[in-house]
Amino acid sequence: MSRAMDGVRRVDINGAARNLLVGCAYVALLATLLWLAQSTLNNYYLRILAVIGINIILTVSLNLTNGFAGDFSLGIAAFMSIGAYTAALLSLPVAMKTASFPGLPAWLQATSIPFLPATIAGGVMAAIAAVIVGLPVLRLRGHYLAVATLGLMVIVRVVANNWQDVTRGARGINGIPPLSNIWWTFGWAVLTIYVVWMVVHSPYGRAMIAIREDWLAAQARGVNVLRTRLLAFVLSAFFAGVAGALYAHLITAITPSSFSFVITFNIVVMLVVGGMGSITGSVIGAVLLTLLPEGLRQVETALAVGGTPLYGLSQIIIALLAALVMIFRRQGLFGGREIRLPGMVER
Amino acid sequence: MRRTWTMLSLLLALSLALAGCAVPATPPAAAPAATEAPAQEAAPAAGAIKIGALYGVTGGMASIDGPGLNGFKLAAKQINEAGGVNGQMIEVIAIDGKSDQTATTSAATELIEVHKVVAIGGLNDSTFALAAGPIAQAAGIPFVTAGATLPTLPEQIGDYFFMAPFGDDAQAYAIADYAFNELGARAAYMLVDQAYDFTTALARFFKERWEANGGTIVLEDTYNSGDTDFSAQIARVKALDPQPDVLFISAIPNEAGITTKQFREAGLTQPIISGDGFDTPLIGEVAGELADDVYYSTHASLDNEAEIVQSFVAAYEAEYGRRPENAFAALGYDTMNLIADAIRRAGSTEPAAIRDALAATQGFQGVTGVISYPEGQRKPIKSVTIIQVQDGVYSFVTEIQP
Repeated sequence: MSRAMDGVRRVDINGAARNLLVGCAYVALLATLLWLAQSTLNNYYLRILAVIGINIILTVSLNLTNGFAGDFSLGIAAFMSIGAYTAALLSLPVAMKTASFPGLPAWLQATSIPFLPATIAGGVMAAIAAVIVGLPVLRLRGHYLAVATLGLMVIVRVVANNWQDVTRGARGINGIPPLSNIWWTFGWAVLTIYVVWMVVHSPYGRAMIAIREDWLAAQARGVNVLRTRLLAFVLSAFFAGVAGALYAHLITAITPSSFSFVITFNIVVMLVVGGMGSITGSVIGAVLLTLLPEGLRQVETALAVGGTPLYGLSQIIIALLAALVMIFRRQGLFGGREIRLPGMVER
Repeated sequence: MRRTWTMLSLLLALSLALAGCAVPATPPAAAPAATEAPAQEAAPAAGAIKIGALYGVTGGMASIDGPGLNGFKLAAKQINEAGGVNGQMIEVIAIDGKSDQTATTSAATELIEVHKVVAIGGLNDSTFALAAGPIAQAAGIPFVTAGATLPTLPEQIGDYFFMAPFGDDAQAYAIADYAFNELGARAAYMLVDQAYDFTTALARFFKERWEANGGTIVLEDTYNSGDTDFSAQIARVKALDPQPDVLFISAIPNEAGITTKQFREAGLTQPIISGDGFDTPLIGEVAGELADDVYYSTHASLDNEAEIVQSFVAAYEAEYGRRPENAFAALGYDTMNLIADAIRRAGSTEPAAIRDALAATQGFQGVTGVISYPEGQRKPIKSVTIIQVQDGVYSFVTEIQP
């Protein structure tokens, strides 16, 4: 896994004020585009856009751990699940809680908080879980994190399946208020990109990349390896929790099986196809691999062989595409590079 | 060189994204918000009536959703051959929900927003019905679930949601009564899949009726869908003294065959009973000759001599070259016919009028029984069929009115 350092080659913190201004302009541009989408597109496209926002959050935040810090976390589904259940339990109307959750603790049954704090609470719970898992595991050198996070996924699922009073077990929670929309998901996506960008271009980010490239050398130069890796992991888990909360309020029904390994797999593919170690790559990977299955589904129905649509074709094409990218462009579409937004000062 | 690569990959990304958008992008471009309302009012007189069929034809639900969709399409074809509904043809728009909640909700939205369907039918599992139902409810489009049997679904989702099948309560009561009265069992063992609404609810209703009848439950054991080894559970049954008279297994189709096989291989010979999760060819295929003395309650038997059943079986065979795989094919068939019947009686393709006509359905003759919705309810009162498997061969036993 030798990767060039070109991802961070040209980073200088100057012209910060100008960048802020230009950044604000880009956010305003995005807001205008979202407003345009909102006023012209129907709910189907808006829903897909909302899913794109969620997938951007997941891919970009996973990039922090897997791309920059050089760890390999498979905890997406677990953190999403924690975030989704936490936020849903907090935001459900009180009347619904008393009807469907007779066993819930009284204080929780009597509270119903707005969407934003519920989402943040979901992220915080996921981050706490990440600290508990990360603190012992990240002391070890090597890819133990992958196994530990897989274990976490199993634990979360078993708990969600059996903690009847709180999670309703396999029946899951339904009737969650449909509060997620493109504004929330893209708002959080922009925040995620901003935070990850800032971290990567801070001393912490340099330390992460140093650890990724050469652990021993980084340690010898005084980098606190555990703290740096933990920061990446916990921050990534926080945003995965947020994404879970947004997901719950988009789909409006969650069950323990909503957050399976398939979700983790999809996000890892988005990350790998986009290019680990590139934030723009993560964004493009997430957009591409959310749109493609939807588009291909139309092709499935259109390409009917003898009256039978070719169901399943989209899954095959996506998997094939991922395999092709790995064979011919192993570093992903973007490798470690970024697309510079015109107007931003970089050197 | 590096620049070229960046540009190339960006181009590739953009073109792929565009390709992804290209097909679905046409409708909204042609019909922006302003023209939507008049277009809808003008359409019904001329064009076909669009009905959405939402099934998970790939993934975990494929073995029952696939036949369901086939039945659904067969009904639409027959309606069209007979001249359509109120002079209009039926156009079925089928989208794959991929047995995945996100894909199912996108598909439901696509049916409503892009294809402008006037009603949706399909889905055989509550997990997906709970995700897709509220979308149709919010849009004011009637949704008829073909096979999701959680009895509380219509209340949980709302007044645009209808069930074509009976509820889990009815089928659990039926098999409990049959085992108690006809098989003479008194002590029951229960094995319950913890992973599905359906399996846990079925077990709950079974237990309720069994104990009300005066029977006892000697042991209640669990597993999770996807398990392949039941030796621990079997050991616990064998340790029981006295032995149970009957083994109740609350499973989805995936585990129906493998549990039967392993229980029989271990030498447990008591009758095995279950609900419509056992209505799958897998019992015969996986357990073979060991599939003996298995009874389950389900929606219809294809051996039923009734004329409506036999003509459905013949039509299905003519269309697809094989007998209907299971009762879900018949449920899909009934669901489409039920919607068409409502449109006919409503004399309109307005979703609200269809909803009212659906709610007023009385005595609708379907392959899976007579469907009537009691006043204010959207779950039908239907008869339950009991099927017996002997030496891997399935046969119709009786119909029970629970």
